[in-house]
Amino acid sequence: MLYIHSTSCISAQHTFDDVNLVVLNPVEENKLLAVEPNSNQIPNAVLRRMGKAVRMGIKAALSIVNNQSELKGIIIGTANGGMEDCIKFLNQIIVYDEGTLTPTNFVQSTANNIASQIGLFTANKNYNITHVHRGLAFENAVIDAMMLIKEHPLDNYLLGGVDEISTYNYNISLLDGLYKNEEVKNNNLYEIETAGSVAGEGAAMFLVNGKKQNSLATLRAIQTIHATDEKIIASNLKDFLASHLADGEKLDLFLSGENGDCRLNKYTKITEKIADTTTLRYKHLTGEFPTASALSLWFACNFIENKKVPNNMVKTGSIPTEINTMLIYNNYNGIQHSFMLVNR
Amino acid sequence: MARIFITGIGIITSLGESPDENRIALKQGKCGITDLELVQTRYAGKIPFGEIKIETETLKNQLKATESGVTRTSLLALHALEQAINDAKLSAREISSSETAFINATTVGGMCLTDELYKDSNKLSIKSSYLSSYDFGSVAIYLQQRYQIGGIVNTINTACSSSANAIMYGARLIKNGYAKRVIVGGTDSIAKFTLNGFNSLMILSPETCKPFDNNRNGLNLGEGAAYLVLEAEETCKSKKIYAELTGFANTNDAFHPSSLSSEGDGPFLAMKNTLDVAKLSPHKVDFINAHGTGTENNDEVESRAMLRLFKEVPSFASTKSNIGHTLGASGAIEAVYSVLNIMHQEIYPNLGFENPIESTKLVPVLSYSKKEISHVLSNSFGFGGNCSSLLFSKI
Repeated sequence: MLYIHSTSCISAQHTFDDVNLVVLNPVEENKLLAVEPNSNQIPNAVLRRMGKAVRMGIKAALSIVNNQSELKGIIIGTANGGMEDCIKFLNQIIVYDEGTLTPTNFVQSTANNIASQIGLFTANKNYNITHVHRGLAFENAVIDAMMLIKEHPLDNYLLGGVDEISTYNYNISLLDGLYKNEEVKNNNLYEIETAGSVAGEGAAMFLVNGKKQNSLATLRAIQTIHATDEKIIASNLKDFLASHLADGEKLDLFLSGENGDCRLNKYTKITEKIADTTTLRYKHLTGEFPTASALSLWFACNFIENKKVPNNMVKTGSIPTEINTMLIYNNYNGIQHSFMLVNR
Repeated sequence: MARIFITGIGIITSLGESPDENRIALKQGKCGITDLELVQTRYAGKIPFGEIKIETETLKNQLKATESGVTRTSLLALHALEQAINDAKLSAREISSSETAFINATTVGGMCLTDELYKDSNKLSIKSSYLSSYDFGSVAIYLQQRYQIGGIVNTINTACSSSANAIMYGARLIKNGYAKRVIVGGTDSIAKFTLNGFNSLMILSPETCKPFDNNRNGLNLGEGAAYLVLEAEETCKSKKIYAELTGFANTNDAFHPSSLSSEGDGPFLAMKNTLDVAKLSPHKVDFINAHGTGTENNDEVESRAMLRLFKEVPSFASTKSNIGHTLGASGAIEAVYSVLNIMHQEIYPNLGFENPIESTKLVPVLSYSKKEISHVLSNSFGFGGNCSSLLFSKI
């Protein structure tokens, strides 16, 4: 059991300062680029050296860790870390034929740079880790945080997921068929029956511990699966709900990772049927990226805290008057799947 | 909490393709650091590397891994993982059980294909067969699919301490009831990307590295992979057990992105917290497999941290002058070496050492010897201040 006490989110939408999930920023050229807030906590000279993933991660983190009691761990999930810096350095290698290169991009590109920069800025010498397992990078960070809380129930931890769209991973994933070739908008992403989604990026951070008192939300359980057969996903989901829901307990909301890729509809359809409740979708707000599930957890916390769900996110069913229990399902490219059960 | 036993090991480095081959080479004080033969770079012949002299295509055929898109990093992993699984006699049913987890570590992933990545990411050619092989997760995803591993699968990248953290995460999965057995370790291959990265930081030595020597002048990069099978006490009652994982800790130096603080808080706390987890007093440590990269910064700071923690610093040595720094694989490779120390009750020499660092005066182990070993502490420190230590104990 993991209790969430404070959250922050940087995304393509108004999720950071004045949260507004009704007025949407549009998809542009099949990308949903995150809107970066200004920060007065980090000197500009330092910010300039950082790539977007690091900037998003550290801004989202610092907005919730300041004035808190000491963090006993910084646990970050990111599939790629600073991909833009990585390829900038790679291009230097090729262009200068391995000549004298500046190390800035190399140092910034290491995947653990987000967690370590947060550690540096908060002078935190405790547990510090970076999970990079593609579409389950954030989920493994969650499992790590759950174990830490079981081991040390009174301690506070920072848990987060971050990834950026770089020109380069966009190109690679586009070639790999992850994004649509035809241009889409927020309101027709799910209607166009073609392969691929739209690219996204963002950062979501959570201050978590084992104390129920004053918490915003509870992450009750998580499961990760590597499989491509939707029947395996279905049977695992049934077992997951059977073992974690109390007798007679019903789901109030199902937050689906549907992303407009027609090849993946079989997974969202079958999980939707099993969840058997109001279905919400969020990837027309965030776009698709390996740690988008971190943002889905932020949405769940937001709905529970504000007792409101924007109409543009409802796929089927009606918005319940009380939001107690939510199921989140995500899959990345049909091979990595996760369930999270969230409570008020 | 469950005790964690090591029931299988697998390894490939420039010293050899199995635990036995590695052990023989370590005993004989062999060095696997040579001129590059297999990586196309202008530094071939100018800077030495711990290169495994088996071509990628040969590895593919040996391992029957001829699917498209499999990278050298994945092949090295496959070689070592298969050994570890066979050594622990894990059946296909056990491997596909939801109670078997697989935790990998890598810092290079598919970026060993530097030139292909350059072309694909800049859209300079028709798409290659490696589009889904560049990222860190690609290695574990390939191995999961190949072995149908049924439990939690993860990839960790905390730079040079990655696979120590993979071992720690796996052990905690068992302790917290998320798994009964875990396959843990790491892999990295030599990449034009990383060698230019380290070179731009001016920490690559033009000769074989000299860990803990006063005139050390940088590290050598290496490649390799190692995996260990960890099992909860109750699941391996009738099995051979090599050693017990009794302590682990992860800390951060929180000082600088690419160097350690002079006080070495991160390394000190990693070692201290590891002993605290094991409830072992420092004087009980018989041997330290040091991180000892051969850089000016690391060896001095690590020495200081050892002097801070131990009234009398135990025998210690670095194997970086045998195989180079294998980055994401090094924590797991050195875990296997620590297990060899315990299995055979012996310690191996630290190559390349002549004179102690002036400020710390510490002298590593200089020759092979038999030694009673109950507890081995293994250190892995990385960029981003990520420091981890592991404690292996004789049972």
